[in-house]
Amino acid sequence: MIDTVAFGSAVAMLAGSLDAWLWVVPGLLIGLVFGALPGISVSMAMALVLPATLYMEFLPAIIFLTSVYTGAGFGGSIPAVLINIPGTSSAVATTFDGYPMARAGKHNEALGAALFASCIGVLISYMILLVLVQPLAEVVLRIGPYEMAAIGIWGMVLLGSIGGSSVSKGMFAAGLGILFGTVGMNTAGYMRGDMGIPWLLDGIPTIPAMVGLLAASQLFALVNAKFIVEAEGDRGISLRRILAGGAMVLKNPVTLLRGTAIGVFVGAVPGIGSSIANLLSYGETRRTSADAETFGTGNVKGVIAAESANSSSEGGSMATMLALGIPGGGATAILLAAFAMHNVIGGPRFMEQSRDVVYAIILSNFAQAAVLVVVGTIFVYGASTIVRLPLRYLIPSVLVVSTMGAFAMEGSIAGPITLYVFAVLGWLLSRYGFPVAAVVVGLLLGRLIETEMLRAWQLAGGDLWRVLDYPWALGILGLMVLSLALSLRRDLAKRRALRAAASPG
Amino acid sequence: MTATGTPMLRRRALLAAGTGLALAAPAAHAQAYPDRPLTILVPFATGGYNDRLARAMAPFVQKHIGQPVTVMNRPGGGTVLGNTFFLQQPDDGYMVMVHSAGPYIPVSILTRNARYKADDFWMINLPSRDLTLMACATGKPTQSVDEVVASLKRDPRSLSVGLQPASADLINFALFCQAHGIDRSAVRVVTYDGGGPARNAVAGGHVDVGLVGGEGFLPIKDRIRPLLMFTDAKDSEYPDTPILTDHARAAGFEPQFVEGSQRGFVTSKRFVDAQPERYRILLQAIERATKDPECVTTLGGQQLATTWYGPEASNRAYLATAALMERYADLLRSR
Repeated sequence: MIDTVAFGSAVAMLAGSLDAWLWVVPGLLIGLVFGALPGISVSMAMALVLPATLYMEFLPAIIFLTSVYTGAGFGGSIPAVLINIPGTSSAVATTFDGYPMARAGKHNEALGAALFASCIGVLISYMILLVLVQPLAEVVLRIGPYEMAAIGIWGMVLLGSIGGSSVSKGMFAAGLGILFGTVGMNTAGYMRGDMGIPWLLDGIPTIPAMVGLLAASQLFALVNAKFIVEAEGDRGISLRRILAGGAMVLKNPVTLLRGTAIGVFVGAVPGIGSSIANLLSYGETRRTSADAETFGTGNVKGVIAAESANSSSEGGSMATMLALGIPGGGATAILLAAFAMHNVIGGPRFMEQSRDVVYAIILSNFAQAAVLVVVGTIFVYGASTIVRLPLRYLIPSVLVVSTMGAFAMEGSIAGPITLYVFAVLGWLLSRYGFPVAAVVVGLLLGRLIETEMLRAWQLAGGDLWRVLDYPWALGILGLMVLSLALSLRRDLAKRRALRAAASPG
Repeated sequence: MTATGTPMLRRRALLAAGTGLALAAPAAHAQAYPDRPLTILVPFATGGYNDRLARAMAPFVQKHIGQPVTVMNRPGGGTVLGNTFFLQQPDDGYMVMVHSAGPYIPVSILTRNARYKADDFWMINLPSRDLTLMACATGKPTQSVDEVVASLKRDPRSLSVGLQPASADLINFALFCQAHGIDRSAVRVVTYDGGGPARNAVAGGHVDVGLVGGEGFLPIKDRIRPLLMFTDAKDSEYPDTPILTDHARAAGFEPQFVEGSQRGFVTSKRFVDAQPERYRILLQAIERATKDPECVTTLGGQQLATTWYGPEASNRAYLATAALMERYADLLRSR
């Protein structure tokens, strides 16, 4: 599968070009900073540096941009862990366990685990890309509405009632999220719930809404606290403990590999990407873990699952971009634009004619993953100092930065308004014990499920039995039912055992 | 292959900066406009055709107008947000749009209740004209447009058709069905909210046939079988693909179609009326940039159009599309 001649010339190309290496560290740092700022997405960070690449050679330009991509992919998890605000929409699941870990004084470990899971995720996904770029792209292109709807439903079932005190409250919150997700124009061109406001034509701005919900629900809960980490002794920043977090990743290889696999395949599907992949991976890990009840309270496996999936999505979406010339999301669309600026047209012909360049890009990403370990550790070391900041300074600063991020994201006051409306809603929901995370999951997955189910219905022409023509979708749903039945049986057995232990005699 | 074009590009940028300075100095004495940077507003996200066109043109417009030119994206609401924002700006000529004006502006008025009118906008030049292409995946059994017609005539539910709602492609499909006596309401139409997703669905074989703008198909040309182009003249990119006028003649009906995206530089009618002198300067700079031989080579290499039609022809084409859209408005609304 690997063309050795092209591989050799790719190595020579990288070895002979100092330029190509010069841009890795700046790229990663830019990505880390922008990824860590709430409201600046991966694709925005890349769009900001795109003009600079016009004046570079082709290979350094692409390496610079993919470095920003890799850096931003991890950068989003830093505020997710430290202040419960995902820096990008792909770090939502990282907040579920990362933030509880930080509050328990394990911020070093959480960030270390996130960093190592990200780096290894990127590494593995590019290895898969190196060997399987063509077949991977073919598989991904075949994933149609039926399969996507099945994947979305699976995610919803896994995460629908996440973090709730009761199932009914969880389902209410998830339903609310799904309804929010349907605001705006649907894929068939019908307007719903826009209340005549032009800003809602494309739906509720997801990132400001998400930041508002998650930040407010937590920040208001911190009113009586003086620091994010209560115990003074735990507020330290320790390289040893960051590395210990990294070691936890290696101790959970199954979680890591599952996350990576989900990231590579789901993240590669055009239009789906890492924001869905990290939720699915988290949900699957929680379902299969023996200690499922500790998820959401600071289980490091949750962080590993989320981060390995969102960073390995990068390799997946690169596959469709390189092999088919199809951008899977904003980030790869910008890479394609950078290709075009250098008069290179991505796609099958590019793969055939410039295999060496493709290999050079992939190889350089191996190096980026390795360099990210070092650069990321230093960055995390610096960023962690915010746990030492008294909350009376931190909370207002976070609100200001989030507001600016929301403004930058939407380019208008619609962003900050969304942020505040959802902040109030988030506070109300958490005040009355509704799980805010479920609203966010509904918001992210609801739109996907609705769009794909609508297309499935259109494809079938309203004929329910057409679903039988799509064995893969049926397979996914079948697996889902089977796995749910198994976990139900396990839960029942556990409950019976508990009851037996509790009752005397 | 990595180095092609780049060193040249760098030199060109330096050159551009140099001439820019040289031009700016005398201009500052002659008149005030432009005495600060200009912005090109793109009402779409980064990476699409308009964005690429704007970013590729920016250095050349800069060279000929003597002020820095930056690109700003304001996507959303099928360009309603960008259009509204643009019309809210002062009429001082410091902002100009690169837009798929036809059909996006008329369609947004007809289907999204936008508050502006089609003639609030003024076309400077629309070099890129896209056409609706009917295509299927190479793996599909359908070999020709006649097979599509026969199949849909026999049973309108026999093929699924992917397209964007409220698009020129939908109008073309409706006219096509009408001409062939196919019951469109029975056809399994699958809707996609963007040209990219619709093309992926065609290339991935999710739908049997798709109708999308042909230009976007070029990067994945090898994966699709073009069946019919909705145009009256052969396209250089798809020389072997049948065109609608020939198809209609063979089938014995009057060929009717609307053009796909008409993209290029757009400003507001208000600015043209209020500031004729500034408009003249802006127009001249864009015309010179478009005709700049360096610009033609650079943009040609990126598959971007640089034809100069001028405001008169561009406005005529745009308004004709707007009128056609209005005529078929009920097709757009009834789904």
